[in-house]
Amino acid sequence: MSSPGGQGGALSTRGAAGPRRMKWALELSLGNTRGRGDRQSKDGDVMYPVGYSDKPVPDTSVQETDRNLVEKRCWDIALGPLKQIPMNLFIMYMSGNTISIFPIMMVCMMAWRPIQALMSISATFKLLESSSQQWLQGFVYLIGNLLGSALAVYKCQSMGLLPTHSSDWLAFIEPPQRLEIMGGGMML
Amino acid sequence: NSTEANSLLLRQQFVGKVQFALFDTHSQASKKLLVATEKNIFASLNSRTGDLFWRHVDKTGPDGHINTLMMHGQDAVVVVGNGRLLRSWETTVGGLNWETVLDTGSFQSAAYIGVQDVVRYVAVLKKSAISLHYLSSGHQKWVENLPESDTVQYQTVYSGGNGQVFVLGVVPNSHIVIVEYNIEDGEIMKQKSVAAPWLSSLQSSCVMVGSGVLLCADPTTKSLYTFPLQSADQTTMTPILLESLGVEVAAGFQPVLISTQPHPARPPLSEFFLQLGPDYHILLQLKDGLVSTLRDFNPSYLVAFATTGEKTVAAVMSPKNETVSILFILSNSDPFHLHTYSVIRANGSNASVINLYSADTGRRLLDTTIIYSMDPNGGKPAKLYIHTFLKKDDSVGYRVLVQTEDLVLTFLQQPGRVVWSREEALADVVTMEMVDLPLTGTQAELEGEFGKKADGLLPMVLKRLSSQFILLQAWMSHLWKLFYDARKPRSHVKNEVTFETLSRDEFNLQKMMVMVTASGKLFGIDSKSGTVLWKQYLENIQPNSVFKLMVQRTTAHFPHPPQCTLLVKDKDTGLGSLYVFNPIFGKKSHISVPALPRPILQSLLLPLMDQDYSKVLLLIDDQYKVTAFPSTKNVLQQLQEMASSIFFYLVDSSQGRLSGFRLRKDLSTELIWEVVIPTEVQKIVGVKGKRANEHVHSQGRVMGDRSVLYKYLNPNLLAVVTESTDSHQERSFVGIFLIDGVTGRIVHEAVQRKARRPVHFVHSENWVVYVYWNTKSRRNEFSVLELFEGMELYNSTVFSSLDRPRPPQVLQQSYIFPSPISTLEATLTEKGITSRHLLVGLPSGAIVSLPKMFLDPRRPEVASDQSREENLIPYSPEMPIRTEWFINYNQTVSRVRGIYTAPSGLESTCLVVAYGLDIYQTRVYPSKQFDVLKDDYDYVLISSVLLGLFFATMISKRLAEVKLLNRAWR
Repeated sequence: MSSPGGQGGALSTRGAAGPRRMKWALELSLGNTRGRGDRQSKDGDVMYPVGYSDKPVPDTSVQETDRNLVEKRCWDIALGPLKQIPMNLFIMYMSGNTISIFPIMMVCMMAWRPIQALMSISATFKLLESSSQQWLQGFVYLIGNLLGSALAVYKCQSMGLLPTHSSDWLAFIEPPQRLEIMGGGMML
Repeated sequence: NSTEANSLLLRQQFVGKVQFALFDTHSQASKKLLVATEKNIFASLNSRTGDLFWRHVDKTGPDGHINTLMMHGQDAVVVVGNGRLLRSWETTVGGLNWETVLDTGSFQSAAYIGVQDVVRYVAVLKKSAISLHYLSSGHQKWVENLPESDTVQYQTVYSGGNGQVFVLGVVPNSHIVIVEYNIEDGEIMKQKSVAAPWLSSLQSSCVMVGSGVLLCADPTTKSLYTFPLQSADQTTMTPILLESLGVEVAAGFQPVLISTQPHPARPPLSEFFLQLGPDYHILLQLKDGLVSTLRDFNPSYLVAFATTGEKTVAAVMSPKNETVSILFILSNSDPFHLHTYSVIRANGSNASVINLYSADTGRRLLDTTIIYSMDPNGGKPAKLYIHTFLKKDDSVGYRVLVQTEDLVLTFLQQPGRVVWSREEALADVVTMEMVDLPLTGTQAELEGEFGKKADGLLPMVLKRLSSQFILLQAWMSHLWKLFYDARKPRSHVKNEVTFETLSRDEFNLQKMMVMVTASGKLFGIDSKSGTVLWKQYLENIQPNSVFKLMVQRTTAHFPHPPQCTLLVKDKDTGLGSLYVFNPIFGKKSHISVPALPRPILQSLLLPLMDQDYSKVLLLIDDQYKVTAFPSTKNVLQQLQEMASSIFFYLVDSSQGRLSGFRLRKDLSTELIWEVVIPTEVQKIVGVKGKRANEHVHSQGRVMGDRSVLYKYLNPNLLAVVTESTDSHQERSFVGIFLIDGVTGRIVHEAVQRKARRPVHFVHSENWVVYVYWNTKSRRNEFSVLELFEGMELYNSTVFSSLDRPRPPQVLQQSYIFPSPISTLEATLTEKGITSRHLLVGLPSGAIVSLPKMFLDPRRPEVASDQSREENLIPYSPEMPIRTEWFINYNQTVSRVRGIYTAPSGLESTCLVVAYGLDIYQTRVYPSKQFDVLKDDYDYVLISSVLLGLFFATMISKRLAEVKLLNRAWR
């Protein structure tokens, strides 16, 4: 939010302090009014510019909106996966249960996105750190992703890609060992 | 592609044991040889190559039996089916000139009747009638009943070419009856009887010699009798004592007379052979009622007359050592012992010589010797046929056709060169096995290295180096051979198969077919080229013996040689004998074979092995005692341990009894079950268990809802097919019993009403397919039984017949098959993954590969989603035969008797051999060639694309690195 002029001014001040000499310098120090931390650190014998009021401007209302925004933003992140679900359901319905390249690609994407999200869940939690309802949001986020992956699994199931039937394990059944030896035939 | 396909198809055609053989002497350049065989086949062979010109296969059994074959000019006259049919064939292309149905009556003899040097008629003599037919059209000229045919046995018809027909009959041990007929109207001209109290049969002891003289031999008085047929006043036969001819006759003398009639319109020659013993013939001449000796042939195996033009010669086959001893007399200067040595060797080599003699003088014709060397593994010569021709200098040249006891037809020309030979024993293959070929010498070397015990580091390294060197050498020589062959034109490269080049191929597609024939001859045939690599004739095999061939040791156990055992059982005495041999080289094994003093009932090949890796063979004798072979200590110990789990069953078809036995530790047996199927109602037609080398990959079937229906895979299950004794079409039936061979429990029984033989069936996996004749609808029907355990397995780890509480679910369905069938077999593959096909041999000679999918009792009547999911074809009663299912295309296999299937090294491929009159070998791919790249697979394109991509990646990687580096520097 700082103006380029102000920054330039700030730079030139530091430049004056350095080895490079200037003919003249004007310091408006506008930038410092913005950065609260800066002002606190550089407080003291700094000359206040024209129109400066020592009393802090009551900007609490703005800060309130910010917090709400953050909160809102966090909820957006947390509810993201859940919002995906109706869309996924629609795609699922459209792609059908036949096994061909497009439905397989859809299913892969559907399955991969929640898994990816779950894998990077710590990063997402960091994003949510600023929110007051961090745990609730994290939980909702987790639930959403789990639901998403459950949906993918359900899709796989309905497409018959999951080895949930006994027929899927048929190939692994070994022929039983025979206990008796038998032979013979018609009398020669 | 087509050349590939042709090289995979292999058919060999045979004719069987020759009964009559005639050379076409009509023209000098003719190369036809007409044969009529015991297999009811009339064929023409190319006498230059031995190939078939044409072949007519008649019905099997007495209906198609060829009674006689006569040839005159271009036409051959054949009497078929005990005098039922008279046929005339055109011999150049094998077309039928005419056919006449004769009156009933058992056939006695037939003869050409000539008038004034022209053959016009053919006379057929039956038991009670004689008929005369025109040779040109087959129309009957006249037929006459024979006088007193209930007491007189008429046996011979004779015509001297002068307008008379003589019919000769005999009242055994009493007199001969001679009836003379008028050729024009069949009127009896004369009838007389001649006393001959010593005579029982004309056909065996009498011939016609000279101008109408009946000549008979009497073994008891050791004399010959003559009687001129035309004589008006003579009423007794003139005896001639053999001793008066200066002939020594041994005791047990069984005389055989051989005469010849060169032209059917002229009287026979007055010279004839008299066989005095098995190896003793004399050439005699009858002149003016007196018999004189022309030449004495002692020893001589076989004799034959042959005529070309006006010359008649006699060919005599005699052992070769005689000529060698003549040589010895001629060259006296050499040391004595050398010659005796050569004589002995000549005896040992079993060579014989054939010489020509002038028939009218008995003089030996010069330069007419043919040396015939007998196969040491073959049989003795049994029949001799001579093909004579006039050479340019008017001397007689000849070729010989020899048929031996082991049914080899050999055609020889001077001075003993074999023009061709045919193995006619292969027309009657009884049983066969396919044995894997051994590894090559180099492969065996490597195998041997790993097989041996380690003896130090350095020797092992040296051994490895030497074997690697041998491999390198073999590879180099292989390359050199490839290079060498490539330079030659393609047609010159012969793929001759010898024992040296015999080795297993990459996919084990080439195997050794070991065939056992009814005549007792064994063959080893390479399945790729069809060449007979070895043959072995087993002597003293009775004609109705039963054979059972078993592979005791396969080629997998190097350095032990593979071992096959043939059990031969004589039907009459019941005694069995074992013949042990190496199936690759045909050599008899020196292993001591157990003596089998008692009749053998059955044999049983156990999966147990002795320390030499040969499977144990159990032989069950008529006291139900068991003999083990091999019977080493190790084997006996194993048998004692295993005895309680070794069971066997015996089926006695005559008493309708099935009995099961269990082995005891002392190698005796105990009866544990018995099932009697009453013989008054039905009789057992056949019993089949499962093949020992069958693998079932999938233990169940996947349903439409993706659950599993488990198969009932009982390895001890037997399918028993019975047939009703009542053959009335309303009451006849075919029964099928599924019996557990260990416990004797009847798992399932089904009865097919209004069904009749022929019944063929196959038992495999969890199904039985059988074919029968439906008497009501008058059609052939297939029926399939499938057994399932249900939706869960009772015990998935072990199978014991003694612990099966639940009976299986049985499903059955039947279909109409549009053709009769002659044999049925199922395909077999290495692991049993490939879907199964049924191989159906049709009487037309085609072999149909019928997918088992069409014979599935789960085929629904109305297709549902689930059945579609399962790929079940909706049920339709008619079974189609699609033309693409014929696996032998136009190469028909006559009289298919059996089909043998063997797995190959490729899971997709099943080797098939159909045998009967012909032998046909091919491969089938029931699920297409899923494990083989197609012929048109583009190796060049694929590999160039791969290589191109690889290099493109390498280059672009390098370029990318360079670019990155440059950017970093900028």
